Amino acid sequence: MNDRSDEEKLLQAVAMLNAKTLGFVIGALLGLAIFIATNWLVIKGPQLNQAGEYVMGPHLQLLSQFFIGYSVSFVGSLVGFVYGFAVGTISGALIGWIYNRIVIFRQKY
Amino acid sequence: MKQASEVQKKDTIEKVVIIGAGPAGLTAAYELSKAGLPSTVVEKDSIVGGLARTVNYNGYRFDIGGHRFFTKVSAVENMWEEVLGEDFLTCKRLSRIYYNKSFFYYPFRLPNAVLRLGIWNSFLVVASYMKSQFLPKLPEDTFDKWVSNRFGNRLYELFFKTYTEKVWGIPCSEISAEWAAQRIKGLSLMQALRNTLLKGQNSDKEAVIKTLIDSFQYPRLGPGMMWETVADSVTGNGSELLLNSDVRKIHINNGKVERIEIAQNGETKVLTGSHFISSMPMRELVEKIEPPVAEEVRLAARNLKYRDFLTVSLIIDETDLFPDNWIYIHDPDVKLGRVQNFKNWSKEMVPEKGKTCLGLEYFCFEGDGLWNMSDSDLIELGKKELEKIGLADVSLVTDGTVVRMPKAYPVYDSHYKDSLATIRSYLEGVSNLQLVGRNGMHKYNNQDHSMLTAMLAVKNILGESYDLWQVNAEQEYHEEVKAEEKASIREIESLSSTQPKVPEPIAQKAGSEADQVLVSAFASLDKFAFAVSVGIVSAIVVFIATIFLIIKGGPNVGANLGLLSQYFAGYSVSIKGALIGFAYTFFWGFIFGWLFAYLRNVSTGFFIFKIKKERELSSFRNFIDYI
Repeated sequence: MNDRSDEEKLLQAVAMLNAKTLGFVIGALLGLAIFIATNWLVIKGPQLNQAGEYVMGPHLQLLSQFFIGYSVSFVGSLVGFVYGFAVGTISGALIGWIYNRIVIFRQKY
Repeated sequence: MKQASEVQKKDTIEKVVIIGAGPAGLTAAYELSKAGLPSTVVEKDSIVGGLARTVNYNGYRFDIGGHRFFTKVSAVENMWEEVLGEDFLTCKRLSRIYYNKSFFYYPFRLPNAVLRLGIWNSFLVVASYMKSQFLPKLPEDTFDKWVSNRFGNRLYELFFKTYTEKVWGIPCSEISAEWAAQRIKGLSLMQALRNTLLKGQNSDKEAVIKTLIDSFQYPRLGPGMMWETVADSVTGNGSELLLNSDVRKIHINNGKVERIEIAQNGETKVLTGSHFISSMPMRELVEKIEPPVAEEVRLAARNLKYRDFLTVSLIIDETDLFPDNWIYIHDPDVKLGRVQNFKNWSKEMVPEKGKTCLGLEYFCFEGDGLWNMSDSDLIELGKKELEKIGLADVSLVTDGTVVRMPKAYPVYDSHYKDSLATIRSYLEGVSNLQLVGRNGMHKYNNQDHSMLTAMLAVKNILGESYDLWQVNAEQEYHEEVKAEEKASIREIESLSSTQPKVPEPIAQKAGSEADQVLVSAFASLDKFAFAVSVGIVSAIVVFIATIFLIIKGGPNVGANLGLLSQYFAGYSVSIKGALIGFAYTFFWGFIFGWLFAYLRNVSTGFFIFKIKKERELSSFRNFIDYI
C-alpha cells in the first residue's frame, strides 16, 4: 500500500458501526450508570424531604414506573443494571443497525 | 523439487556474460559463482567497484562520494559480512552543513541551530513554517514548493535550495515535486499511526532502534575493498574478469542477445553466452545494439540524462583537521558541494598518521566548464575554495589528484519516465538480457538495491521469475530500522514483493490487515446517518415510554413524564402526546447525533493531521541525505 493510497483511503473511508458491539457498550454503560447512581443514594442514606419525611432517592425511584421491580436499594441497583443493560443494548444495536443501513443506502445511490 | 528444477536449469546455461564490474555486476558474478556457474565480467575501467570503487593514490585511498553501508535487505547484509568479515567496521557519524560562515550539525541539533541562526532568524524560521502551513504554495508541482510547504520557505532557502541546485545542476523550480515525494519517503502515514498508537507497548523496542543517522558500517579500506575481494573470489572460482574492456556492439537476433563485441587493448573480442546481465548505462546499451533499434527507442535513450561528478583529492600535512566524516557545503559563493574526510571513515584510508586526505566533491555535467578544467586548475580551485570556507590552511597541501566519474546519478527530468517506458518495452522482447544496478536501470538505486537487482537476476537465470523493476519501487526505504526487523521476515517481504507468482507473503498480509484496522478506526462517521439513527432511537424510547404509561393507567397517568412538556410544548402523556414527543425527540436526537459525529470526525482528523505533520517534520532531520 503506497503512501498516497493510504491517505486517500483514510480520507475517503466512512465508518461502519458494529451494531452488536455498540449495543453492548451502550448497554453496559447505561446499566452501570443506574447501578452506581442507585448505590450512591443508598450509601448517602435517606434524606429529609419537604414534608419532613425521610425518603431514599425519590426521583430515581421514578424509574420503577418503567422498570418493574426496581427500587432505590442494593437489590434494586442490580435490577436497574439488568434493565439499563437491556434498554441500552437494544438502543445501541438499533442505532448501529439504522446507521449502517443509511450509510449503505447513501453509498449505493 | 525446486532443487531438481534448478539443476535441470543449470544444464541449459552455457555461460553468463555480465557487463559492468560495479556492485551489481560483481554481485551477479558472486551469486552465480556460489551456484557453481562461472561467468565473464566485462569492465570498461581498469578497476572494479563502479561508483563504489576506492581510488588508491600513492597509498591514499578515497571514495567516489562517501559510501555508507546500510541496508534493510538481509541478503545484502549477509553478503557484505560474508565477504568482509572482520574488515567491516562500525563508524560513528558526524556531519555538518557549512552555510553563511557557520557550521550546523547535520542531522540538526536544535540548540546548535538556534545558536548559529540567532534568535531573530530562528523566530523567522518558525513564522515562515507557520505561514507555509496556513498558506501553502499551490499547485505543489515543483521541488521548491514541495519543500517550502513542508518546512517553510525560510528553511528551504537556508538549507535546501543551494545544495540541491549544486547536486542536480538545475533550479529547484524546475525539479518535479514527484521526485521529492518519491525520494524522501520517510515513514508511511500508516506506519506513523501504528507507531503512535503502539508507543507505550513499543517503549522497550524503541530503545533498540538502530539508526544510520548516528552510525554506519564501512569496510576497513573503503568500499572498493568489498569489490576487490569479490572480484578475487569470483576469478578464483573460475570466472573471468576482463578489465579495460569496452563493449562495442551487442548483437541481438530473434529476441535474444547472441554475442557481444568488446575492445580490449586495441583488440576486438567476441563473447557469446546463454544469458546476459547489463549494468552499463542504458543510453549506451541501446546505442550499441545491432541491428540498430527503431528510431523511437534510440531517441528515448538519447533523452536519458545523467549528472556527473568529480573529486579533487587533497593531501594535507595536518593530523586532525576536523572531526566530521563529511561536510555539506551549502554556501553559494563556492562551487564545492561536499567535503569528505576519509581518515574519519577509516583510519587506514590514510597511510601516514600525520596527514589528512580530503575529497572535495563537485557535481557537474560531462563536458561543462568544471569537467573540462585541467587537473592542476581543479586542484587550485579546490585549494582556493577550501581556504575560503576556512577548513584548512592550504599552504599545508602537499599533493592532490582528480578523479572524474561520469554518469554518477541518473537524472529524473520531465522526459525520463516516458523514455524509460519506451526502452523497457523494447528490451522486454530480449529474453536473455536482464538490466541491473543504478545506471543499468536508470534508477536511483543505492548500493544495496543495485545488489538486490543482481541477486534476483541470478535467481531468474536459475528459473525464478522476479520483476527487478519492483526493487526500490514499492518497498519503503528510509534510514531507520528496528534491530528485530532484520529478521528473515523482512527479507521475505522485500524479495517476494518483487515476484508476482509467490503467494501473498505473511508479513505483507499482516501489515495490510493492520492497515485495514487503522482505516476502519480512523474512518469518518457519516454525520447524517448517525444523526438520523440517534434521532429515531431516542424518539422510539420516548414514544414507548409514553405509551407504556398510558397502558399502565392509574389515577394520575404519567405525572412525572408529563414534565417533558416544559421543554416540548404540546407534549402530554397521551397518544397525541406520544407522537409529539416522538417528533421533538427525533429533532433533538438528530442535532445531538450530528454534533457528536462532527466533533468525533474533527478530533480524529486533528489527530491524523498532527501525526502527518510530525512525520513530515521528522523527515527534515535527514532530508539532505536523500537529495
